[in-house]
Amino acid sequence: MHTKPIAGRMRTGALLPGLFVLLFIMIGWFHMPLFSQDALALEAEEVIAATDSLTEDIKGKVETEAAPETEQVYTRGNYSKQDLRRGERLFKGLVPFGSGPHDCASCHYPTRTDTLNWNPSAFDLAKLWYDNEDYRIAEKLNSPAGMRMMNDHQGMSITPDEERQLEAYYTEVLKKGPGELQAYPIRAFIFWGLGLLMLLALIDLLITKKIKFRVPHVLILIIGLVVHMQFAVAESRNLGRTQGYAPDQPIKFSHLIHAGENEIDCNYCHTISGISLSAGIPSNNTCLNCHNVIREGTNSGRFEINKIHQAVETGEPIRWIRIHKLPDHSFFSHAQHINAGKLECQECHGPVEEMHLLRQVEDLSMGWCLTCHRDNDVDFLDNPYFQIYKQLHQDIKDGKIDAVKAARIGGEDCMRCHY
Amino acid sequence: MEKKYWKSLNELQITEQQQADLHAEDGQDRSMVEILADEANNKSSSRRDFLKWCGISFVSATVLSACENPVKKAIPYLNQPETLVPGKASYYASTYLNGNEYCPVLVKSRDGRPIKIEGNTLSGITKGGTSARVQASVLSLYDTGARYKTALKNGEETEWAEVDTNIVEKLKEISDRGGRIALVTPTLLSPSSKALIEEFKSTFAGVEVIAWDAIPYHGLRKAHENLFGNAIIPDYRFDKAELIVGFGCDFLATWLSPVEFAGHYAERRRLSQEKPEMSRHIQFESMLSLTGASADERVPVKPTEELKILLALHDQVAALAGQAGIGAASVDYDVESLARQLMENQGKALVVSGSSQAEVQMLAAAINQMCGAYGTTIETTTPLMIGMAGDNAFDNLLNDMNQGNVDAVMFYHTNPVYHHAATEKVISGIEKTTLSISFASTKDETAKVCQYILPDHHYLESWGDAEFKSGHYSLLQPLIQPLFKTRQFQDTLLAWMGKDSDFHAYLKNRWQNNLMPLQSEFNEAEIFWIKSLQAGVLEIQPNRGQAMNFNPAALSEIAGKINNRIASAAELEFVIYPSLSLADGHDANNPWLQELPDPITSVCWDNFAAVSPATATSLGLAEGDLIRINEKTRVPVLIQPGVAAGCMSIALGYGRTHAGISADERGGNAFLLNTNRLFSGEVSNWEKVGGKHEFARTQTHFSMEGRAIVRESTLDKYQQDPAAGNELHKYHEKHKTTLYPAQEFEGHHWALMVDLNACTGCSTCVIACQSENNIPVIGKDQVRRRRIMHWMRIDRYYTGEAENPGVVFQPLMCQHCDHAPCENVCPVAATTHSQEGINQITYNRCVGTKYCINNCPYKVRRFNWYEFATKEEFNTHTTTDLGRMVLNPDVTVRERGVVEKCSFCVQRIQEAKLTAKNERRLLNDGEVKPACAQACPSNALVFGDLNDPESKVSKLIKDPRNYHLLEELHTLPSVGYLTKIRNPRT
Repeated sequence: MHTKPIAGRMRTGALLPGLFVLLFIMIGWFHMPLFSQDALALEAEEVIAATDSLTEDIKGKVETEAAPETEQVYTRGNYSKQDLRRGERLFKGLVPFGSGPHDCASCHYPTRTDTLNWNPSAFDLAKLWYDNEDYRIAEKLNSPAGMRMMNDHQGMSITPDEERQLEAYYTEVLKKGPGELQAYPIRAFIFWGLGLLMLLALIDLLITKKIKFRVPHVLILIIGLVVHMQFAVAESRNLGRTQGYAPDQPIKFSHLIHAGENEIDCNYCHTISGISLSAGIPSNNTCLNCHNVIREGTNSGRFEINKIHQAVETGEPIRWIRIHKLPDHSFFSHAQHINAGKLECQECHGPVEEMHLLRQVEDLSMGWCLTCHRDNDVDFLDNPYFQIYKQLHQDIKDGKIDAVKAARIGGEDCMRCHY
Repeated sequence: MEKKYWKSLNELQITEQQQADLHAEDGQDRSMVEILADEANNKSSSRRDFLKWCGISFVSATVLSACENPVKKAIPYLNQPETLVPGKASYYASTYLNGNEYCPVLVKSRDGRPIKIEGNTLSGITKGGTSARVQASVLSLYDTGARYKTALKNGEETEWAEVDTNIVEKLKEISDRGGRIALVTPTLLSPSSKALIEEFKSTFAGVEVIAWDAIPYHGLRKAHENLFGNAIIPDYRFDKAELIVGFGCDFLATWLSPVEFAGHYAERRRLSQEKPEMSRHIQFESMLSLTGASADERVPVKPTEELKILLALHDQVAALAGQAGIGAASVDYDVESLARQLMENQGKALVVSGSSQAEVQMLAAAINQMCGAYGTTIETTTPLMIGMAGDNAFDNLLNDMNQGNVDAVMFYHTNPVYHHAATEKVISGIEKTTLSISFASTKDETAKVCQYILPDHHYLESWGDAEFKSGHYSLLQPLIQPLFKTRQFQDTLLAWMGKDSDFHAYLKNRWQNNLMPLQSEFNEAEIFWIKSLQAGVLEIQPNRGQAMNFNPAALSEIAGKINNRIASAAELEFVIYPSLSLADGHDANNPWLQELPDPITSVCWDNFAAVSPATATSLGLAEGDLIRINEKTRVPVLIQPGVAAGCMSIALGYGRTHAGISADERGGNAFLLNTNRLFSGEVSNWEKVGGKHEFARTQTHFSMEGRAIVRESTLDKYQQDPAAGNELHKYHEKHKTTLYPAQEFEGHHWALMVDLNACTGCSTCVIACQSENNIPVIGKDQVRRRRIMHWMRIDRYYTGEAENPGVVFQPLMCQHCDHAPCENVCPVAATTHSQEGINQITYNRCVGTKYCINNCPYKVRRFNWYEFATKEEFNTHTTTDLGRMVLNPDVTVRERGVVEKCSFCVQRIQEAKLTAKNERRLLNDGEVKPACAQACPSNALVFGDLNDPESKVSKLIKDPRNYHLLEELHTLPSVGYLTKIRNPRT
């Protein structure tokens, strides 16, 4: 008599949290990509799209170049399955080359990783080979040019057959693309794991009722909701902010080597930072100032530096991934902060000279801007521009104040940055 | 003060009838409650819909919040040009050249794309002034809809190389057999182009050049030839004239050199304690023009009556000068006293006539001669180079073409199918030629009927030069690579002549060889060229002018023609005039210009036949009636106070049929009425064609409500008391009380002063503001709904009787009140006061409650009802990637649902401040100029820092003429107005 209505109430009562859980799982579904490094994911998609057309190209070529091959004449295309299988094994070090065992994949990663690898990846190599008609794998390996290449490929000598097999593998790599990078696996695991637990708890609570005590169910649901909520809040607050963003760039350019070890001044490359709103991404010819002569890097050998020269040849500028980006509705002048504000680059960009891969250190939020405007003194006494603030100068003379913060003279006005 | 001002006829009638209900002023009888109830009933959405949308938006917001940050690329130059700094604007000198219009400009270029036009202060002609059309010309560059994108043959795309071989072959063939090739151009101002065309003529023997102007000034030149034996258009100097008498001459808006004239005119009318004197201006005219609105005495008369008065004035002046008259009939105006005053002002008087008829101009020139104007108020040492083309040559060509005597015809910068009254004749003539070519860069009616369209560059993509006045040279240089596969006209000619060099080299060579010897500053050819390009202008001291031998005998021959003209007086006459915004309609497809309200009528997107209230009543016309005039032009009727009785005035430039989406079928083409090429004539026939037209106008929702918004006085009173007409200011200053502590501005305190005496109402500032601040175009329909977006508007007030009202213009922008009523009502603190006295609005904070709009007593705040910037139904120019290139990257493009308004061009203030800080120096007075002040041809707007006691604004704000709008509200605006002073005859 008494149980029925209670059960009924239970059911309707549990419906609401149940819906919430479902909603959150739904949100999570859409939400997950944020946990991965989106830049890579997207870029990979781009490259895959490009390789799709490559594959088409290759197929076309294979068909047109179907002429019977002779042993002596080198031709590309028409790789058998056998070639491919053997090529993959050779590359991954599963079978030895004729000249001895070499594990290509130990340096040239066939999949993406989030650790910095100075060596070109398998995909990079394959693309280089594909783009360049004259590129011969055997030639590059048997008589390597450059110190780095020579040291790393010592004692390697590959036969035309092996070359062919490697080429077969390269075409396969091109077809597959560079692959995606899975970042933040722990957070994703927590999110989905908790979601699953909550679902199970809900099912047991309402339908199966295997566990008599309801405390664990409720606890799981409460903890799950709180954690999911925390994720949602954290993610929405960071919406549009990319603190910690450090995407792979098209060239493995290291600020540590350039600005740190070689102590090149920031302004040497970012030439317009002192005169323009933007600090400027160095143009290709700026790179060539040095790399006209320096053709080989300590870490990356010739492979990365060659990309600069390739850009000159193709006329295609390098498409860097943008890291620091303020929203369009905020105005910011590098020149102003460097000249009038006398800020060091590192105060906003962090210890760039210690980074191999450039990373956004600050969150570039409005709160962060304002904190600086509130806490920092302007160059009040030395810059003649500020002479218009007569009263404040008098106050300094009288010893009432000893410095003037930016916020005191309009640094907090909306229209300083937004117009 | 005692004057009663009114803004529309309705308002005048209402106040006269002492009606309290001003809501009915736009002609709607229904009450607001009825309108709202109707709207509610017609709405399909309900409360349930609202809840549904709430739910959906909640879910979509959550989903959207999970979206990824897009990957942005940062792509540097492969090889960065040394002079180009990304993110930093550079300015290049060039010249706006469009038919008769000329203006040396500086073009602001950001990241390689031109985004704003400013006046070139080095020019001795315009002195940094511009006009609305000049300001708007940058938008035409990106007009993807109307610009021809490649060479066309019979409407099909074709290759330039193919065109060249075909055409050269044909031209040779025609020349060889002695055929005729006509090249139709307007009066060419470019000396290099003229030289090149001469060379072209010698290459192809059959080529003859026929000049034809849509708006002709040849009559003026002819008059000087007849009267002085010297075919010139002299240089009129309004800055030296004490007494100006105008006859249907709109010299402040469109006549000859309006930018220069507005500057000169305003200079002579600017008052100060040191110079409490100004010129006197009397205007006889049929329409109510901008110039007439500024006049001290305005006499509205029909065109024939105007001529009669001019003739009578001539005879009176001749009598006083002891010369023979022509035989004038008596007129309804006291010409005798005017004649006496003209003679009293020997060497200081100036009579100008806007007529295109040589005989009429001879009358004006004779009067000028008799009152000693030549050599003083009219300079002959630097004559104007425009108006070289008479009508005869082109009329003959038309006849020859129709008889099949012309083999080929080419049109450069001319559009006779639209500009000529005999459209059919022009079309049939073109069709009878074997080869017809148009060099039009944007769609036009003539190009449409030509076989070949070989599009020219926009002027911002072209090389070129101009000589507007004798000795005043200026250069055009390209600001951007050609956007489309177009080719400069001159380069096409060079290609056809088989030359390898391009026009750039040709121009440079010509300047170095022909112009360098004329100056002494630079000796090295390369430096001379670079410096000339940098300055944009080269001014060479004029030689002494040729002798002007007055030959009064010539006057005796004109009596017949003048009397014929007077005798042609009809009951109803018309006058047609180049409109302020579109001039001859060349740039009609520019939506900025289309949406620029005519300062007098405040109508945009249309032209109309304006008739005076009395004439409308007698003809039985009501506002908005569609009529067809002389069986040719169909326009709506607008009842306009101040138009002469028995006269209709119709603006030119409208009624295009093949110009692009913004221009086509807007209004009627008044060029069709211009059969006599005199721009006036008889309305022999008019009929209502049925239907009512609803005008898009920006004015009727404002009313002065009996408050002293415009303050006006006369020179006499001003000389006795500089604060004349401004007594209220003193009163309000005395009664300032407030509960709040006074605002203090420690650093800068920005302020803008508007001299109502210098303002001519030319509306240049409106377009300059639109260009600088990314103000969207909203379209005719939205304007009809009173949703205007211009941050700056020109308010116009009438005073006096309806048939001949006085007119005052008042530029109105955000007043940046120190006690701003908008600021305290914003629930989200989106609008606040800066430490420099700027009333600032933060778009990202704004949630669109519009409380601020309600609370603003000046009605300067604008609301984005829709996505005006990106939706094609409102505008067509910023909806494409190419069109968006015109946007100023320093100014946010506003979203739907936010309020916007004048920011005092804060981006310019900040830029100047940052430069000063970076250069470690004080900010100089005059260094910051908002777009409106920079563009103003008459320097009516002065901007500066009130905290700097030496600044111009600090001095002007202490002028006894200064007052603030609605001072009684104690809003303490940062914008001040100087009273309007007129100088009527007593």
